[in-house]
Amino acid sequence: MDVTITFAGFFSQVLVGLSRAMILFIVSSGLSFILGVLRVPNVAHGSLYMIGAFTAHGIAVLLGEGMVGFLAAMIVAPLVVALISLIAERALFSHLYEREHLMLLLFTFSLALILGDLTKMTWGADYRSLVAPPVLQGSVSIFDTAVPRYNLFLLVVGPLVAVALYLFSSKTKIGKIARAAAVDREMVGAIGINVSWVFAFAFVLGCFLAGLGGALVAPTVSITLGMDHTVIIEAFLIVIIGGLGNIWGAMVGSLIFGVSQSLGVLLWPQFAIVFPYLAVVVILTLKPTGLLKSVW
Amino acid sequence: MKRGHVWKATLLLMAGWWVISALLLPAPAAARDIKVGIVDTYSGPAAVFGNDALNGFKLAVDEINKQGVLGGKIVFTTRDEQFKVDIGLNMAKELVMKENVDVLVGTINSGASMAISEAVAKKEKVPFFVWTAKSENITGKAGHRYVFSTAENTAMAGKSAAVALSQKPFKKFWIAGDDYEYGHALADAAWRNLSKIKPEAETIGKTWWKPGEPDLIPYLTAIQAAKPDCIIFATGGLSMANVLKAIKATGMKTPAWIHTATDHSVLKPLGMNAPEGVMGTIQYHYYYPDLAANKKFVKDFQAAYGNPPGFPAFNAYTTAQLIAEGFRAAGQIDKEKFIDAVEGLKVDTPVGKVEMRACDHQAVYPMFLGTTKISKEFGGAISSDIITLRGAEVMPSCEEIAQARKAK
Amino acid sequence: MEKKLNFARSGFLWSAMLFLVLLLVPFFAARFYVYILGLIFARALLAMSLNLLVGHGGIYQFHHAVFYGVGAYTAGLILAKTPLPAGMALLAGPLMAAVAGLIIGLFCVRLNKLYFGMLQISLGSLVWIIALRWYSLTAGDDGIHGIPVPDVISGATPTYYFLLFVAAACLVVMYLILKSPFGVTLRAIRDNPQRCEAVGINVRRHQLLAIVIASFFAGVAGVLYVVLEGSIFPDMLFWVLSLEIFIMCLLGGWFTFFGPVVGAAIMVFLQTFVGSYTEYWTFVLGIVLILLIFFLPEGIMGINFREWARIRSRRASAQAAD
Repeated sequence: MDVTITFAGFFSQVLVGLSRAMILFIVSSGLSFILGVLRVPNVAHGSLYMIGAFTAHGIAVLLGEGMVGFLAAMIVAPLVVALISLIAERALFSHLYEREHLMLLLFTFSLALILGDLTKMTWGADYRSLVAPPVLQGSVSIFDTAVPRYNLFLLVVGPLVAVALYLFSSKTKIGKIARAAAVDREMVGAIGINVSWVFAFAFVLGCFLAGLGGALVAPTVSITLGMDHTVIIEAFLIVIIGGLGNIWGAMVGSLIFGVSQSLGVLLWPQFAIVFPYLAVVVILTLKPTGLLKSVW
Repeated sequence: MKRGHVWKATLLLMAGWWVISALLLPAPAAARDIKVGIVDTYSGPAAVFGNDALNGFKLAVDEINKQGVLGGKIVFTTRDEQFKVDIGLNMAKELVMKENVDVLVGTINSGASMAISEAVAKKEKVPFFVWTAKSENITGKAGHRYVFSTAENTAMAGKSAAVALSQKPFKKFWIAGDDYEYGHALADAAWRNLSKIKPEAETIGKTWWKPGEPDLIPYLTAIQAAKPDCIIFATGGLSMANVLKAIKATGMKTPAWIHTATDHSVLKPLGMNAPEGVMGTIQYHYYYPDLAANKKFVKDFQAAYGNPPGFPAFNAYTTAQLIAEGFRAAGQIDKEKFIDAVEGLKVDTPVGKVEMRACDHQAVYPMFLGTTKISKEFGGAISSDIITLRGAEVMPSCEEIAQARKAK
Repeated sequence: MEKKLNFARSGFLWSAMLFLVLLLVPFFAARFYVYILGLIFARALLAMSLNLLVGHGGIYQFHHAVFYGVGAYTAGLILAKTPLPAGMALLAGPLMAAVAGLIIGLFCVRLNKLYFGMLQISLGSLVWIIALRWYSLTAGDDGIHGIPVPDVISGATPTYYFLLFVAAACLVVMYLILKSPFGVTLRAIRDNPQRCEAVGINVRRHQLLAIVIASFFAGVAGVLYVVLEGSIFPDMLFWVLSLEIFIMCLLGGWFTFFGPVVGAAIMVFLQTFVGSYTEYWTFVLGIVLILLIFFLPEGIMGINFREWARIRSRRASAQAAD
């Protein structure tokens, strides 16, 4: 690339990578949580992310695209996604917990197909565009470079979600039960806790996070069908390099993924897309179970 | 009456009935319906274009069928290729081998279009109209007798950019776009033609990003730091909205040209937040030109589908006209005669008469160059200060096409 | 319970009869069905090659499409861009695929289960990116079309027979491999890798060999596709296709021999025929899969398997009673 790498350019690229990483973190932490507790790769995670984005758009447009609409969208859209996942879980998924893992994978794949087409049936094929509320629009000038306000917003929200998740899973009773069930479900069942409900809870929480990620990303991208495919592979790779079921691992993985891609753009734009995959290959070759401790 | 008599009477009555009906009923028409098979994308992000094209085609066919073609109607059936080349091939083969369509049309996927062009149109000798995919190779070096294009292509878009930009005082250009075939082809075509018309123009840098890359602000800020006179953006549908959003977010003032930036389907979702002053080219606007034919087309389309037509609908409408007029001129449902008739055929479209050029089977469209401007009446940006570039100005010449095909 | 290779003697009779019927198809079926059957042969071979690893080896081969794509691209590029004889192209495809299997396998085989799969997805995605971005070689996302296929195997019927014979031959070879001591060891490794290690079997080497064999056959499937359609494009290397092949195996019954063939046939059928009736065919597929999961968890072939299990257990208890 013919652009000279200035400090400003470098700085803004890193910021972009970090804010992208925040979205990836929120989505992949949900995936990691589900993988940790249920031991199932949730292929439908991307579809739920997409539904989160579409729903957020719908709500925000309904309430006028101001701060009220935005906040409502950010809160209600993930709840809608959580509700959908609860229905799918109670009606279908919960009956399959005794089956082979590959069957559970097949189930989440079928769910992904169904949700994908349901999205098309509900919202149609048109592109949608959501605008951030006025206070989060535009950019501020830091180190002589324009940094979009919304990116800064994401840089605040991401760590907040991470901290909230951490406190939740280590300080609250239900969080601790979920973590215990991830490590040894028979023991948890043996001491009288309904493991099925623990699984339901974990699944719904994970999907809530997917919906939240979709809602938060909505103002920055074109909301289209096919969003599910792009995010699911990235989320899976992040979960793997971070360590299965490990929230902080998801954070580390997301940071590596997001920043390596945006720096790759600066250094070798044509093949920038390669950098995150290369990072995954390197990490898995050196540390096959992921960077941080895996729950399995 | 005896049983035997009842039988005889019944038989006589039936015979009589057949004789009378044979004399009274008109002889069965020797004509049959013309079957069109449509392969397009109806799922995923490109589906919006597939639906638009189908609606335009439906509207045209409904009108045409009022009169009929060669005593029959035009009937069509659709198949969803899901933007995948292998499914597109599969569906096209099904339409030709099982449904026995007379004409194939579609799709938005350039790869699928070229695959179908080679493996189905050429092999099975079925005429294939590509109506949205923009690769110039379709009628360029990979063109042949059985493939037509009623879409504008990257060569035409590039030349329009060159014609438009050469008239401005820009010397230092930056090229930026989606890192895939369409982006590169568009940029090459633009630069190829621009440097011919204006030798003193120079490219001071190039930037390519992943198609669909959501955050283009850092790219734009880096580009602006180099201070080009003008930026040529080569982006496809996925990144289009992101580019415009980024331009608005950074408040960029550098002049920019993007093919189809002025497309309604791109500007509408941005609403009042679209950037102004961006140059764009496209072969169809529903609000320009102010011809009676266009007004009627828009009115009928809006009444039928609730939204105004986009360029895929326009392309498809033109395709329907070519099919109808082509068969009428051929005089019978014969594929070879149809192809001969369509070559050089001129049909009525909402923007006036459009010719299907014989030497390469490319529809000759005028290009409309405009600048984005917010209009309260439209609730968003539209193309303004529109200049019409005539088709002949922006097409590659027949000699260039012949050379490209030979070189293959 | 050890999952045996489900292939009784009557199964052999059925296969022979099926082969005979398939031989006669071009004489009485419309050209389109001949084409669709050819497509099923190629896909079935691909699914079978994956099942060598997933069903019989217990290996989480999550990006099998890479080897299919490498085989197809190698053959396609040689046919389209070089004056080399066609036979070379058709042989080079599977060989390159096997080499790719070896290289990627070496990286992945040290890991287990899900990690194996994810590392393979990453490595496979790198290959996909190369095919996508190296315009001058591969024409990027447009792909290369109209690849010249040798006359002797082009045209609806010759292509059909070529595909039928090659696929059938490969299936026979695969059956022999699975029946051989190597195959027995592979299944033992699938069921209890620790015990195999304890007995002195080099688990990793066996798995790597299995991967190379499976990749070879995937490459053959890729070559068959090129002969059938004359096109190569990056989607052939994309992870979505890998997932589809995986689903074919699960759909048909992944621990039976013919399961993947059935799964492939069903998927092609659904795609082609359901796709011509509704644009929501993936929705239909999702519903079908869920029904299958609930009512036919061993896959379609699982029906037979359960029958056989019942019959065998009855026979066994009858013998025991004697």
